[in-house]
Amino acid sequence: MAKPKIAFFDFASCEGCQIEFTNFGDAATLELLNHVEIVEFREAMTETTTGRIDIALIEGSFTREADRVRLQQIRHRAKYVIAYGACACTGGINALKNHQDDFAEYVYGGDARMPHLRSGTAQPISAAIKVDYEVKGCPMSKDELLLVISNLLHGTEHVIPTYPVCVECKRRETICRYDEGDHCMGQVARAGCGAPCPADGIPCEACRGFVDDANLPALEKVLMERAGFSQKRAVGKSRMFTANLRS
Amino acid sequence: MGYLYLEEKDFAAFVDALIAAKRVVGPTAKRNKFVYEQLASADELRLDFDVTILPPKKVFFPPAQDIVRFGEQAIEGCIAPVDTVLLGVHFYDVKGIDMTDYLFRERKEDWNYLAQREATTVVASNIQAISPRAFWDSVGAEVKPKGHDAFLTKLAGGCVLETLTPKGEALAAFGAFRDATADEINAAQQTNDSVMGQCSEKLGYTSEAIAAKVRDSFDNEELWDELAMDCFSCGSCNTVCPTCYCFDVKDAWNLNQVSGSRTRYWDACLTREFAAVTMAGGDKENFRERHQSRFRHRFMRKTAYLNEKLGGPACTGCGRCSQACTVNIADPVRVITAIMEVGS
Repeated sequence: MAKPKIAFFDFASCEGCQIEFTNFGDAATLELLNHVEIVEFREAMTETTTGRIDIALIEGSFTREADRVRLQQIRHRAKYVIAYGACACTGGINALKNHQDDFAEYVYGGDARMPHLRSGTAQPISAAIKVDYEVKGCPMSKDELLLVISNLLHGTEHVIPTYPVCVECKRRETICRYDEGDHCMGQVARAGCGAPCPADGIPCEACRGFVDDANLPALEKVLMERAGFSQKRAVGKSRMFTANLRS
Repeated sequence: MGYLYLEEKDFAAFVDALIAAKRVVGPTAKRNKFVYEQLASADELRLDFDVTILPPKKVFFPPAQDIVRFGEQAIEGCIAPVDTVLLGVHFYDVKGIDMTDYLFRERKEDWNYLAQREATTVVASNIQAISPRAFWDSVGAEVKPKGHDAFLTKLAGGCVLETLTPKGEALAAFGAFRDATADEINAAQQTNDSVMGQCSEKLGYTSEAIAAKVRDSFDNEELWDELAMDCFSCGSCNTVCPTCYCFDVKDAWNLNQVSGSRTRYWDACLTREFAAVTMAGGDKENFRERHQSRFRHRFMRKTAYLNEKLGGPACTGCGRCSQACTVNIADPVRVITAIMEVGS
C-alpha cells in the first residue's frame, strides 16, 4: 500500500504549530516518514503539490472570503481534513479582534490601511469547510496530532478528552493556582494538553477551548470570590483563546 | 507483633537504612503542600504533614498505568512490583487503602493493583498537624483502620513503632530499636487519642442515619439542583479521593505504528462523559447527562451505595475534595449537613 500523503497548509496564524511539529526531532520524524509521505510543508520543505492528498493539516484561522475558496479547494483534494492549533479550531488569538474595531490603528499605526491587513471576522476552519478532526491548543499538542494520524492509519476512532484541565493538574499533583492566591480557567478549559502551564505556575488560559456545558457563571463567581477580581474583570476575563466561545 | 522504641537521634539512620535497601515512599514538601514521593534521603521525609494533595493509593494505582505493551506479535503485561515501604500514612488514609484493597479484590482480582500492594509495607504514622478541611474524627467511626503493617507514633525524644504483621516486624532490623516500655506505649496511645475531636469540621450524624437520609433524598431534584448549582463537573473531588477507583482505558501506538501500549487513567464520575456509552448503531447515551445527577451520584457512592461492602461510608474524612473544589461545594460536611437538615 502506498504511504498516505500528508500536506500542511496555513492561514491566519504564526505558523508556530508547524514549528511545533518539527520539534518531534529528526529521529521521530524519520520514523514517521516510514508510514506517511509529506508532500507540502512550508516551514520545512520547498516542494508544493496540487494533487490529491490523504490528510490535509490546516493551521490558522479563516479570516477572509478568499480563504474560503482556498479552503474549499483543499477540502476537495483531501480525504481527511485535520484542523490543528487554537487558531484553526476556535479562531484562537485572532478572534480577539472580533469584539473590537480600532485594533488595526492600535497595532499598525499609520500603516493600518495597507490592503493586505484587510480581513474580516476570525473564525475556525470549520466555519468554511467540513473538518474531520481537531487538534487543539496553542501550540497544538504534537503528541495528540500523532495520535490522530495513528488512528487514521489504523482505521480506529480518535477520542479526545472531554474533561477539563483540573483533572490533569490533579493527576500530576500540581498545586492549584487558587491555593496560591492566583486565578485559573482550568475548571472550564478542555484538557488533553497534560496541564503544563499550571505546573509551571501559569494560570490556564483555555487555549484548547471550553469543555461542553462550561459553567461560566460559576467561573466568574470563583474569579471574584477566590481570586479577588472585580465583576467587570471576571466577566471579561481573558478572551485570549476563547473570544469566539463567549458572549 | 509488639511495641518497639527508637530514640530520636537514631531515626534518620533508620530511614536511610530503609532507603538503602528498598524503595521508600513518604510525605514530602511541595512548596506549601505535601505529596507522596520516593525518598532520596531521610531529611526529605515530612511526618509533620497535615494531608497530601493525592492520597497514597497512587503507589498501587498510579494516575496513569500501562496495563499491556504490544508489538507486532507479542503482548506483554506490565505488572512489575517493586519492594516498597510506604512510610507515613495517617489513619484515615489507612482506611482508604483498606477500601481500595477490598474493591480491587472483589469479584475479579486486579493484579495491576494487588501486585504492588502486596510488595508494599505500609507504615501508618500519627497525625502531627491537622488539615483545616479534615473531619476524619467525625465520619465512619465504625470503620477501623486496618491492613497496615506497622504504626509509628512520634513522642518527645523518640518514637514508638507498633508492629502488626511480619512485614512490619521486619522493619526492626533497619534501626536501633529496643522494646518499648509500658509508659512509652501509653504515651503513644494518648498521643493518638488526643487528636480525635480536634478537626474544625464535624459531621453530627451517624453513618446509618446519613445513608438512609441521603438515599431518601434521591428524588429531591430541587435540593440537588441547589447543592450542585456551581459545579464545574471538573472531577477534582474524584481525582483527589482516596476511595475513588474508577479508571478509563486507552490504547496508543508508538511512532513506529506497530508497537504501543494500553494504559489506564483515573476517571472521574463528575465529568460529563463518564456515564456516556455507545449503543448499537453508534448512538451515544449519557445516563447522567446533567451535572446535578453526577453530583448526586458521588454522594450516593460515598455515603450509601458501598456501605455494606466496606462496613461504613466510602469517605475517610480527609477533606481533600473540600480543599480541591475551587467553588467550595464538594465539602461532604456541608452537603451532608444540608441534606440532613431538610424537613427537620
